[in-house]
Amino acid sequence: MARNILCVRLEHTTRQRWQKVLYKRQSFPDNYVDQSFLEKLRKNVHARKYQYWAVVFESGVVIQQLCSVCVFVVIWWYMDMGLLAPQWLFGAGLISSLIGYVLFDAIDSGIERNQSGQTRWGDLKNSVVFVAFTYGFSPVLKTLTESISTDTIYAMSALMLLGHLIFYDYGANAAIVSSTLSLNMAIFASVCLASRLPRSLHAFIMVTFAIQIFALWPMLQKKLKAQTPHCYMIITLLFALSALMGLLTISIVGTVLFALLLIAISCLCPYCLIRLQLFKDNIHGPWDEAEIKEDLSKFLM
Amino acid sequence: MAYRREGNQEQLLSSIISTVNSHKSPACARQAHRICMVSDFFYPNMGGVESHIYQLSQCLIERGHKVIVVTHAYEDRKGIRYLTNGLKVYYLPLRVMYNQSTATTLFHSLPLLRYIFIRERITIVHAHSSFSSMAHDALFHAKTMQLRTVFTDHSLFGFADVSSVLTNKLLTVTLCDTNHIICVSYTSKENTVLRAALNPEIVSVIPNAVDPTDFTPDASRRDNNTITVVVVSRLVYRKGIDLLSGIIPELCQKYPDLHFLVGGEGPKRIVLEEVRERYQLHERVRLLGALEHQEVRNVLVQGHIFLNTSLTEAFCMAIVEAASCGLQVVSTRVGGIPEVLPDDFIILCEPSVKSLCSGLEKAISQLKSGSLLSPEFMHDKVRTFYTWRNVAKRTEKVYNRVASETVLPMGKRLDRLITHCGPVTGCIFALLAMLSFLFLIFLKWLIPDDLIDTAIDATGLNGAWTRKYLRNKKKKENTTNC
Amino acid sequence: MAEERGYLAVSGARITLQCLHHSASCREFQVRCPRLQLRSLSAVTCCVWLVAYGLFVVSQNSMVLSASIFITLIGLLAYLHFVKIDQESLLIIDSLGIQMTSSYASGKENTTFIEMNQVKDVVINEAIYMQKVIYYLCILLRDPIEPHAISEVVPLFQSSKPRLDCLVEVYKSCQEILEQRKKS
Repeated sequence: MARNILCVRLEHTTRQRWQKVLYKRQSFPDNYVDQSFLEKLRKNVHARKYQYWAVVFESGVVIQQLCSVCVFVVIWWYMDMGLLAPQWLFGAGLISSLIGYVLFDAIDSGIERNQSGQTRWGDLKNSVVFVAFTYGFSPVLKTLTESISTDTIYAMSALMLLGHLIFYDYGANAAIVSSTLSLNMAIFASVCLASRLPRSLHAFIMVTFAIQIFALWPMLQKKLKAQTPHCYMIITLLFALSALMGLLTISIVGTVLFALLLIAISCLCPYCLIRLQLFKDNIHGPWDEAEIKEDLSKFLM
Repeated sequence: MAYRREGNQEQLLSSIISTVNSHKSPACARQAHRICMVSDFFYPNMGGVESHIYQLSQCLIERGHKVIVVTHAYEDRKGIRYLTNGLKVYYLPLRVMYNQSTATTLFHSLPLLRYIFIRERITIVHAHSSFSSMAHDALFHAKTMQLRTVFTDHSLFGFADVSSVLTNKLLTVTLCDTNHIICVSYTSKENTVLRAALNPEIVSVIPNAVDPTDFTPDASRRDNNTITVVVVSRLVYRKGIDLLSGIIPELCQKYPDLHFLVGGEGPKRIVLEEVRERYQLHERVRLLGALEHQEVRNVLVQGHIFLNTSLTEAFCMAIVEAASCGLQVVSTRVGGIPEVLPDDFIILCEPSVKSLCSGLEKAISQLKSGSLLSPEFMHDKVRTFYTWRNVAKRTEKVYNRVASETVLPMGKRLDRLITHCGPVTGCIFALLAMLSFLFLIFLKWLIPDDLIDTAIDATGLNGAWTRKYLRNKKKKENTTNC
Repeated sequence: MAEERGYLAVSGARITLQCLHHSASCREFQVRCPRLQLRSLSAVTCCVWLVAYGLFVVSQNSMVLSASIFITLIGLLAYLHFVKIDQESLLIIDSLGIQMTSSYASGKENTTFIEMNQVKDVVINEAIYMQKVIYYLCILLRDPIEPHAISEVVPLFQSSKPRLDCLVEVYKSCQEILEQRKKS
């Protein structure tokens, strides 16, 4: 018996350590579990630590876009009620566009303009062509949807504006993001709504306003955000306040709800994100599909 | 067992049967199992899983077990067929949904599978590949029918995206009450244990094998004026063909005598064609298109270096085949690849163009200085690493182990499902298990077990095919075993 | 010389196999299925009529009732004449060939004859039938152009579908005759 034990012990010492290789016939059973099992398991490798205020700052884009939609609808309401003369809106739009245009170049002191090679003459030409076309087609826009019931138009515009908010490029890298689709949906909504205004001049001005607020304004915002974050914060706040004020003149309940929505998005959602981050449990290991990190398109250029 | 050699054949067989039945026989007597391999993937479809099932079945038949294969119908190949050595294959008329995998409802295949399990008197159901829904179905039914179950996982899975989350959940459900699981590499074992939240003790690692006689070196086929790099793989993203499209121009500019030979077909072929066009490499980069299995060897022996750029791989058969043909292997260090070949046979690189290029350059400089191992030496080594006989022997051990285990009774199975698979999924699948149990009772009432004709065994003890074959084989084995 | 034995069909129904040894080189096998039972007939009729009566109560249209009577009658006739096979027989004559006869419940008979030099072999094969895997007896026909190839497979006892033990009985008997032919 003693000899037997000795034998076993000897065998143990002479036994090689288990190796993680398949080509060797090892003296371990096939279902052997070594101490090194799952040694290469990594957790939450790509998990990011978020700062609360940074997330709040980033949520500004969503706030801005919600407010844009709100402002657009409020202005349309004023026009529809006849409380706002189209000439006034056109004048205000023209002035703010010019200010924005100057700001756009002033922020980065014209660096981007030099890089892209866009000339002022080209800008002027583009805008003149656009305004002329819109003006020319506005009678058509006016009559385009006459055969469609007003309820359908409202439902469609609501859907389109919602779609605009969903597909808008907030800076996330996701498949659903499509800035073209988003812009198209917004313009479609504006055309729908404009066609319900009393005259074709109204329709023309509504569509140009939609272009200003959905196409030009976000471009300026993006630049502001990149160059002067503080300024951007203040502008976002002011914009949100003005949207709320505008809404207040129409409906108090709507204003309260909209304010709650804005607060939830800018304060509550970041908090949830950071709390839920703690529950993240991502598993990584040698079995993961390797990522190709290099840019291979250069070989095909 | 030697004393039996004197007796005549009938006696020998009956004595084996009696030892199997009595169970308390001396350790020398082997248990004969009746095994049913189930997978959506089988010949005429070609691939790693298919050849694994075929080769493993052949070796198990050789060892005296009864093996049948159940798969779905491939075009006009329906019904029952016999392959070499009486391997019986059932091609069931089930609808194929996606990628050669059948639709799963967990119920529609029960009547047929039950009929087959009973008529073939199956004792162990062995399912293959987590991509095959038929395998999942069969495991589910086998457990309802109180049969022992074994599952072989052939692939690696991530944890990040939605599809893998769902597949992993399904795998958890299927494997939580499966008797034993086989993985093809240690990395694959870690992966499967994590994915299905298993006890690692019930997971065995049994690598794939290659048929060494199919992959012999032939140095005369090499063109020694040039250096040829061979790539044999499906041309898809997961095989890292994008990396290859970066390596080819990089190295072709550096080495004027370098040639590439690419075998395989797939959506990424266009990328390679563009590279070839862009850098005017028509002479030096040959795209051979899809290769038949028997052609692979002829392509391999034309090269000096084998390049594998896979981004994920459970067990890379291709590099073993290449090493068996005597090629120096350069490969990415992903999945189970580092476990497959010893360090002097393989140069491992990171999955990037830069790292793979330096790996290839190292191989080329070794080739030029003549410090590479000789093809014959490599072949002789590799042929001892992975053989199907060895795989069958180790799988048989798993079967023996499983045969001594008990199958969970229905109540415990429901418990296990609910406690193991999370509250929602667990309850849903417990309900499904319950339903399939009731369905089975209904089927038993509709067609009682004794109304099902027992099939005539083609393989195994007393198998019609093996009877003659056994006569020669058994005697040989008796002399070697005891 | 005739012997009659009871067997089971794949579906569990009782069938009888009658082997008639007319002479050394001529044998006949008759598989008889159970006759149409009054019980099942009346059950089906009752069901149809009850459904028809229900429809009649809802629709208040007496056409439904007359139509149902008509449908049952026509259905029964068609079933007896085209579907229900009472007896299937296989006559194998060494020098001539194989004749298969199926008799319907109405008395209609369907006969097929295969010449002996067309017959390559008689075998038992397996097939997937509905949700079952069954054995069946079949005649392999020789390809007239290539003598080693099989041009067609003719299944036997298609409607009664006897179980394996019954098939083996017939198979052995058939093989005896085919053997004799090969020898001579």
